[in-house]
Amino acid sequence: MIYIAMATGFLLILIGFYGALTNRNLLRMIVAFSIADTGVNLVIISVGYLPGRTAPILDTTVTAAAAATRIIDPVPQALVLTAIVIGVGITALMLAYALKLYEKKRTLDIAKFTELKW
Amino acid sequence: MVSAIYILIAALGAAFFLGFLKDGMRATAFAVTLAALVFMNFVSAGWLWSFAVDAAAPVEILTAGFSPPFAINLRMGLTEASLTLLVSLSGLLSALYLKDVLLALGRRSMAVLLIAVMALCGIILTRDTFNLFVFFELASIATAGLVLLSEDERALSAGFKYMIVAQAISVFLLIGIIFSYHATGTLNIDGMADASTELKTGASIAFFLMFIAVVAELKPFPANGWALDIYESAHPAFSAIFSAASGAAFLYAADKLLHIGGAAWFPLATGIGIITFVAANLLALPQSNDRRLLGYSSIAQTGLVLAVLGQQDILGDRYLFVAGGLLLAHSIAKAGLYWLSGLIAGRALPDWAALRSRPLLIFAFIVFIAMLSGLPPFPGFYAKWELARLLAGDGRIALLALILFGALLEAGYLFRWFGYILKREQPAQPVVCTPHKLAPVIAAVAAGWALGYLWGDLSGHANLLLTVPLLFALSFLLLEWLPAWIKNTLAIAGMLAFFVLTYAEYDPLRLIFAVIILIGGPVIFLASYHEHGRRLGFYPAAMLMFAGLALLIRTGDSFGFFAAWELLTVGSYFLILRGKHSEPHALSYIVFSLGGAFLILAGFALAAQGAAQYDLASLGLLTQPLAPWVFMLLAIGFMTKTAAIGLHIWLPGAHGEAETDVSPMVSGILLKAGLFGLFVLLMSMGKQQLYGIELTHVLLWIGALSALLGNLMAIFEEDAKRLLAYSSIGQMGYAVFGLALMNHLGWLMALMFVINHYIYKSMLFLSAGGVAKRTGTRDMYRMGGLITLMPLSFIATLIGIIAVSGVPPLSGFGGRWIFYNAILTSDARLPMVVLFFAGPIAFLYLFRLIHTVFLGQLKDEHRKLKEAPFWIILPQMIFVVLLLVFAVVPGLALRRVDIYLNQFFPEGGLNWAGTTISSNYGYWNPVAIMIAVAVIFGSLFAWLLFVNRKAQKVKQFNIVFAGERPYRPETTHFAWNFFAPYRKALGFMVQPFVTRFWEGLTNLLHVAADLSRRLYNGNGQSYAFHFIAFVVVVHFLWTGV
Repeated sequence: MIYIAMATGFLLILIGFYGALTNRNLLRMIVAFSIADTGVNLVIISVGYLPGRTAPILDTTVTAAAAATRIIDPVPQALVLTAIVIGVGITALMLAYALKLYEKKRTLDIAKFTELKW
Repeated sequence: MVSAIYILIAALGAAFFLGFLKDGMRATAFAVTLAALVFMNFVSAGWLWSFAVDAAAPVEILTAGFSPPFAINLRMGLTEASLTLLVSLSGLLSALYLKDVLLALGRRSMAVLLIAVMALCGIILTRDTFNLFVFFELASIATAGLVLLSEDERALSAGFKYMIVAQAISVFLLIGIIFSYHATGTLNIDGMADASTELKTGASIAFFLMFIAVVAELKPFPANGWALDIYESAHPAFSAIFSAASGAAFLYAADKLLHIGGAAWFPLATGIGIITFVAANLLALPQSNDRRLLGYSSIAQTGLVLAVLGQQDILGDRYLFVAGGLLLAHSIAKAGLYWLSGLIAGRALPDWAALRSRPLLIFAFIVFIAMLSGLPPFPGFYAKWELARLLAGDGRIALLALILFGALLEAGYLFRWFGYILKREQPAQPVVCTPHKLAPVIAAVAAGWALGYLWGDLSGHANLLLTVPLLFALSFLLLEWLPAWIKNTLAIAGMLAFFVLTYAEYDPLRLIFAVIILIGGPVIFLASYHEHGRRLGFYPAAMLMFAGLALLIRTGDSFGFFAAWELLTVGSYFLILRGKHSEPHALSYIVFSLGGAFLILAGFALAAQGAAQYDLASLGLLTQPLAPWVFMLLAIGFMTKTAAIGLHIWLPGAHGEAETDVSPMVSGILLKAGLFGLFVLLMSMGKQQLYGIELTHVLLWIGALSALLGNLMAIFEEDAKRLLAYSSIGQMGYAVFGLALMNHLGWLMALMFVINHYIYKSMLFLSAGGVAKRTGTRDMYRMGGLITLMPLSFIATLIGIIAVSGVPPLSGFGGRWIFYNAILTSDARLPMVVLFFAGPIAFLYLFRLIHTVFLGQLKDEHRKLKEAPFWIILPQMIFVVLLLVFAVVPGLALRRVDIYLNQFFPEGGLNWAGTTISSNYGYWNPVAIMIAVAVIFGSLFAWLLFVNRKAQKVKQFNIVFAGERPYRPETTHFAWNFFAPYRKALGFMVQPFVTRFWEGLTNLLHVAADLSRRLYNGNGQSYAFHFIAFVVVVHFLWTGV
């Protein structure tokens, strides 16, 4: 199961990169990177997953004393939360950039923004 | 001590607080921003003080009440404190610089700036990999925001390109971090370093991904197009942060990762770093946009430091000294240059000529490019020396060669740029200079000098900023407001005083050089009294050269020698650049000289074999197979200064185009530095064989060919000063030949040439310069008949050419006499024949000086000329007297040296009995010769006067062009192309093969660079592809190796 999740994660990353490298439309590139980000998150989660264990929430069913043997690794989950937040921030910033770029040239084609080169 | 976490809290808190302010309260917002930045500086500086001065131990800062690995921890140590200070200081100064922009854009822009500085400090402080990722992303977001501070609309696309690459980087970084976590069970950097055996293997893909992602932020070649676009289009104040602070923070992040991965990963860092360093410097060559050029240079310098990070295994406890020296020199200089670029209206490199209206800013520019090129007395210089020493000591020669090659490229384009500033037309728009923009530049200059002092102190060698000659030279910077004649007097007095104080310390050989430099220099400085006004820039440059020369002959160890060599090179470069049309010649001079200096550096580093102190005298202890290579590197290095054939192309222009009083300094005195180096080299190392070839025999040939070709090139020259310059190549050829003979008389002859060449070449340059000043031209065929108008210049020239040509009775003959004796004891027949041919050729060009300039018909426009100015004539007359004295009593200088040379060559000295000097083959009595010549000359002259007493004067202009109307009238002058028949016969030998070779080489570099930089096609998608391809290719190369 975890291998399916991890493989899916890597597949999503590759799809994301493929999309970002083959689509010249700014918005499609941003979507592609979002897909890659999702893939990364999936990979992180799958790294922390341990078969047969429960969610890392301490309550009456999982006591603190038993936690070490009963829950999965909570660290990757915490990391994913952070990564998601950062991903949202970056996506928002890229979208803002795309908007401004569109306002400037009335195009979303990345190949049209090459006045800086060499 | 305030906890280091307040660095982060202050920035975050202030940024948060800015959100509560009304949009109209921009001044308040700006004050809050500055206050937060000042506080961050204060905290960092406080820690730096306690680590550096009180030697406090590094402090761990725990967060969330747990110790690692259960919570993130930060660390504050010496490195962290220096780097956070660097980051927050550049943030503060840039904020100040950005005042107008920030006030116009409001509090949000200030908040982003604070977050950027905070994120960079966080990268430096944190000891947690995931936290590192978070700060990376914060830095990316803030960077993408700050790029938009620019007025340049193109910054928008640059920011987006960066975001694309940053996305790809963060994917790799996260994957790398999570699998490293999986392998080690911790996110803590030190925890990973302790736990990991898997990551340390060099085959761990998890570590590779993490590392390559961090390295990608260092803009490695070729995945760095996005960074160049940012550098070109962003606001210069942001580029200053981006280059200085971001570079430093990300480099430290790379260092932390190397701490995890260990030695197995060092070669990867070095490989990526050095390729980036060389490639970026190469691609910078054809750049014309200033900010993009600085971007290339930034990328290169970051690459260099990355390469050094990968060398920490051999750098040992000097690691921080070297890496820190290079990094700080780069950061400060680059920030300063970006701040400067904001004061310039135009973006093309020649637009920087606007700086000419602000001498202070020119000084700042010089300081910055000297720091970047690793010139003394700045930190980069000491770091470069240590790095070369340790690399060569461990046998990493290829890396050393690449570093020096890249550094030479960089110095080349930086000094070319400086040439534009001084020599190109000033643009219409002046420098925009407001106090808040000027202050950061001044602060950077001050920081550069302070660090130069600090690094000198830490270097383990003499602190250059404490040496008397250098201090004396630098003090002229503070005296620039004085009129030239006062500074001139001070310069002369200072040099003479230094000689008097140090007189007793020289051995006879060094004494001769000391006299030429410290007494001979002031004699030439007499001519400088002719210049009026303040003569800005002349005295610091000239005194820097003389300081270098004085240090050169006084030093006993290789470090001091190399430092002095670089000082005199830089000083003389500034002097040469002062000539009206000197720009290209000064550039080729500095490139050849620095190239030579790097060879010398490599030679010394090889010789030292890692030893921290290396005396010049120990060169003699070197054995095969190292010795001949050291010999060769040093000899070629020294011969860039003596302008041996093949390395001579800079000399004619540099000496010919220099100012009247500069030409004799750089010809009569500076060339001797190279000879002194050869003296020292041959004295300690003697004969060396490489693959069975006797290297001194090669030197013999170089000397003979330089003499022949230098003289040949001189005879076809129309320009009087260039003729003299070419003649110097020939004369230095004689001296090199004499040295390479490796016998007593050969060395005595070389020394004779040292003295003679100083006297007559200084004299001839002064008289040619004086004549050129009056006639307004240096072309000899435009002159003629000046003997009656400028009799003193005529006498000086006459005496000079008699001395040069080596005919009795003057000292040139003494040189020849010793020379003939010397070659009789040598068995190098063929080069000797070549050298013999060179002799008569010298007559041909010397004859022209008298014949074309002073004899013949006076030009109409010269009828009212006066004698050359008094102050230019005065030193010439002193030289005339000197020549006559030296001709009659050569023993004055040579006798003691002759005895001194006995310890090297006991055989074949001269006998000094009375006025007669005798050798195994004959004798020479200078006094008798002088009397004989005087009698013969006197009686012939009297007879001439007698028979000419009734001669009738023929009017000028009694011939016309014989019915022709020539296309170029000057070509009908008999002195035009005077030696045309010889040119027909021998012209093939003076075809500018060497010039074409070097030109071809530089063109090749430029064309290659121009083609390769097209890789950066401006498309963000291509940049993303570059990055991913870079990761893949590096991975395959790395695992394949």
